[in-house]
Amino acid sequence: MVEIRSPSVRRGWSESTRARASEIVKQYPDPRSAVMPLLYLAMAEDGYLTDNGMREVAGAVGLTPAQVRAVASFYTMYKRDDPGRYLISCCTSISCMLLGSDEVLRAIEEESDVTAGETDPEELISVEHVECIGACGGAPAVTVNYELIEGVTAEKARELVRWLRTARPDAIVGAECQELFGGRRSFDWGPFDRDSALGPYPAFGPLGTVSGPSEDQDG
Amino acid sequence: MTKPVTVTINRRLVNAPAGELLIKTAQDNGVYIPRFCWHPRMNPVGMCRMCLVEIQTPRGPLMVTSCTTPVSDGMTVDTTNPTVKKAQEGVLEFLLINHPLDCPVCDRAGECPLQDQTMAYGPGESRFVEEKRHFEKPIPISELVMLDRERCILCARCTRFSEEISGDPLIEFQERGNYTEVNTFPDEPFRSYFSGNTVQICPVGALTATPYRFRARPWDLTFVESTCQHCSSGDRINLQSSQNRLLRILGVDSEPTNQGWLSDKCRFGFEYVASPARLTSPLVRDKAGELQEVSWGEALDYSGKALGEVISRSGGRAVAGLGGARGTNEDAYAFSKFLRSAVGTNSVDCQMDDGLDPRLLSAIVDRARIADLESAGSILVWGPDLKEEHPTLYLRVRRAAQELGAGLVVVHPRGTGLDDRASVKVTYQPGRGGEVLTELMDGNGRMAEAREVLSNGPVVALLGRPGYGESPDLAEATAAFVRSLPDATILPLARRGNVFGALDMGLSPALLPGRVQRGTLAAQMLADRWGELPAASGRDCRGILEGLESGDIEAVVLVGADPVRDVPDGELARRALEKAGLVVAIDQFLTDSSRMADVVFPAMGFSEVEGTVTNIEGRVLKVNRLTPGPGQSRPDWAILSDLAARLGVDLGLVSAQQISQEVEELADIYRGVNWERLDWEDRDGIVVSGDLGYVPVFSHVASVSPRPGEMALHYARTMYDDGVMTRESPSLRPLAPGSGAHLHPADAARLGVGEGDSVDVTSVSGSLRAGVVIDPTVEPGVVYVPFNQPDTPSLGTVLGVKVSG
Ligand code: SF4
Ligand code: FES
Ligand code: FES
Repeated sequence: MVEIRSPSVRRGWSESTRARASEIVKQYPDPRSAVMPLLYLAMAEDGYLTDNGMREVAGAVGLTPAQVRAVASFYTMYKRDDPGRYLISCCTSISCMLLGSDEVLRAIEEESDVTAGETDPEELISVEHVECIGACGGAPAVTVNYELIEGVTAEKARELVRWLRTARPDAIVGAECQELFGGRRSFDWGPFDRDSALGPYPAFGPLGTVSGPSEDQDG
Repeated sequence: MTKPVTVTINRRLVNAPAGELLIKTAQDNGVYIPRFCWHPRMNPVGMCRMCLVEIQTPRGPLMVTSCTTPVSDGMTVDTTNPTVKKAQEGVLEFLLINHPLDCPVCDRAGECPLQDQTMAYGPGESRFVEEKRHFEKPIPISELVMLDRERCILCARCTRFSEEISGDPLIEFQERGNYTEVNTFPDEPFRSYFSGNTVQICPVGALTATPYRFRARPWDLTFVESTCQHCSSGDRINLQSSQNRLLRILGVDSEPTNQGWLSDKCRFGFEYVASPARLTSPLVRDKAGELQEVSWGEALDYSGKALGEVISRSGGRAVAGLGGARGTNEDAYAFSKFLRSAVGTNSVDCQMDDGLDPRLLSAIVDRARIADLESAGSILVWGPDLKEEHPTLYLRVRRAAQELGAGLVVVHPRGTGLDDRASVKVTYQPGRGGEVLTELMDGNGRMAEAREVLSNGPVVALLGRPGYGESPDLAEATAAFVRSLPDATILPLARRGNVFGALDMGLSPALLPGRVQRGTLAAQMLADRWGELPAASGRDCRGILEGLESGDIEAVVLVGADPVRDVPDGELARRALEKAGLVVAIDQFLTDSSRMADVVFPAMGFSEVEGTVTNIEGRVLKVNRLTPGPGQSRPDWAILSDLAARLGVDLGLVSAQQISQEVEELADIYRGVNWERLDWEDRDGIVVSGDLGYVPVFSHVASVSPRPGEMALHYARTMYDDGVMTRESPSLRPLAPGSGAHLHPADAARLGVGEGDSVDVTSVSGSLRAGVVIDPTVEPGVVYVPFNQPDTPSLGTVLGVKVSG
């Protein structure tokens, strides 16, 4: 007996998300080139990349959902599982590894009781190890909800986890975390400016008429 | 491809067209280079590395993939030296690392390219001792296809086919690295009309077809080449059976027609042949009104006597024939000869009210060949949705637009499978075709772009009737206009399996065998052979049905015809058969129509009879026999010949091959077309031409609109419907979409209904209840209802219908 999964309930994007999607599509000569930024948009919409989000992306660029999923599943930064409220990503590529990222990751795992790739039962903290995040100069580097903290030590990493547990900040602000848990920075990032911040979805810089994700976009 | 170049392959000089791929040049010159991902009908990707060869370059020897390397003048190639050998072994060793050793339970074993090439080119022994990768064993990715990801070697043939050839990429590589797999989107199955092709081209057993899995071993199969009879494209196929049971159909790469591809209907729509519902014995209606099994003698005596009575009482013109487009040319010829010389009537129609002029279909001037699409500057498609009704032709048009750069203009009442490749798509309300044509001829406004595209010659126009709401005259008027376009050729569209062959054999009121018009000199020559031809002109399908209803026609002979389900106005057909004094049916099944017959003869059919068919471009192709017919079934021609004998007429038909010879002698255009040629050197078929050159006449087609309060009905066929061949094929039956009312979102809102709600669609001749499908591709004010779905009554050839929630 052949059983085929029947379509799940479809839920469209909101008008404003749709509008933003079509703004992004317009930036490219060929709509399908917009797949990757739109996948970030889909992540912003649902908190992670849902089937529904991928289907919407497909509709927006004229591909099939299978083709969109092919792209999405190739890249680890498109999250297809619902992460906890705080996603701690620990770089374990060469520069960070040479400067002790293994210990940092172990400290995070122990302190949070979450193994890399997983989420705690409370759905508060997810831990993952990632490939180079472009902060080699400030190795070892960690991001929380894609906000960067450089020069992290095992001890600071434990503090970070404890802080997330207890303080449960509404928004993660990179500059603030760096202050509290970071060490040596790769270079002077300048004063923190919310308006120019890229937020968790790097493709959403000030891009033509496209505005960045709304302020409360941290979860 | 310009000047030929000279290449040295394995120390032998060969010539090749410049730019040809090395792997192909080698193959054409007898050097087989192993490969997995390369397929001659798809663009190369160089993914599997199996085709590595060594070429000499100024910087020394270099390994290249021969499937991505074009030949160039003076190139020196070695395909067998130790380096190449080592590379081949290495590639195979890597491929086998993750490939399970389940050949004993794998359907592909015995015809598996991986198995074969490992034997031929692989390392004798495995060094792999680790644990292999595991996936859940076969998962269904559609009703027809199972996927075993462990076996997949990631050659991307299936995914490329879906994207490049069929244009419905519902399968793709998912995940990355060691976890890469082919798969669908989680809730969107691989429901492609062409999914079976991926099974055929998968070089391992990763994709298997549910209808064939575990049915046979390749070495147990007997096979023969034949021609598909589901639509009129004349696709070449390979029939395969085991123990007298048809088990599988594969596509044969025939350049002029299907180029190796098949639709799933063609590939899997053979199961009906072995259906337990097949008729095995003649049936005659007894006194109590029940059909009872009788002997052949009784059934023939009964029908001979009854027909004879009608003829002597009211003359041959009181008898009519319907059908004949499902069988071979030989059967159609016998039917034509039976009606005209034994019965004495010209009332016969094989097109069953699809409505186009037979002369337009089979004898138009400037008739296009399918191959003309390859060199077309632009293509106009205005007719049925090719993807639904002419699937392999759809692939050819798609290829022309996508790969060969032809401009494409599609005119249709709703979205079609070709829209994503169309340069211009015109959607319109059914019934307004005449207006659209005028606009297109003027070339102003929204049509300016279409005319611009169509100014690129040569133009190939594929014209037919988009749906039953459209006037049948529209195609002819369009054809007349198209002739003014640069180097235009026209391919008139009619879908029934052998409708063009049947027309060539004279199964229409106006045409006699060989595309001869009644009343001409050629007709006189035919009369010399056949005896006096009936003088009175005949009626077409609609005329016959109306005649039966009014009593002008008293008897009808149905040959593979189910008018109740198959003509657009099924209710008319039902009333006609009820009123008819005598209905004689030659059929493979008891259908809604043959159930109403007085006598039913069990007929042999596809894969059971040998003969010829003629495709949409006039190409004659051979069909062959592989399995025996069920029970006492017999070929149509033999039944008709015996029936004629009961009427005291000897048709002189002794075998299908003799009939074919008779056709060859008697129909000028079929001269030289014989079974020997078609079986051997002309397996791709022979195009018969030398027509009467029918010039399409322009007529102003008036636009019709539905009455106030009504919606315009677009009533058209889908690939899978309730036709007996689909219904009796268990694998395809569930794929019929079922009745549906496709509404524009605005209309749905107006009616206050949403997707999944039901509405009543009512026409003057029938009414049905259908689920609402929100379809932004139809125009506001139009409702699209798929024709002939399971358990749905017919709405007739009407334009206006009432739709209520
Ligand atoms: S399923 Fe078959 S055709 Fe598709 S990529 Fe895998 S091996 Fe190739
Ligand atoms: S290696 Fe860690 S940021 Fe580059
Ligand atoms: S056949 Fe050339 S790389 Fe696969």
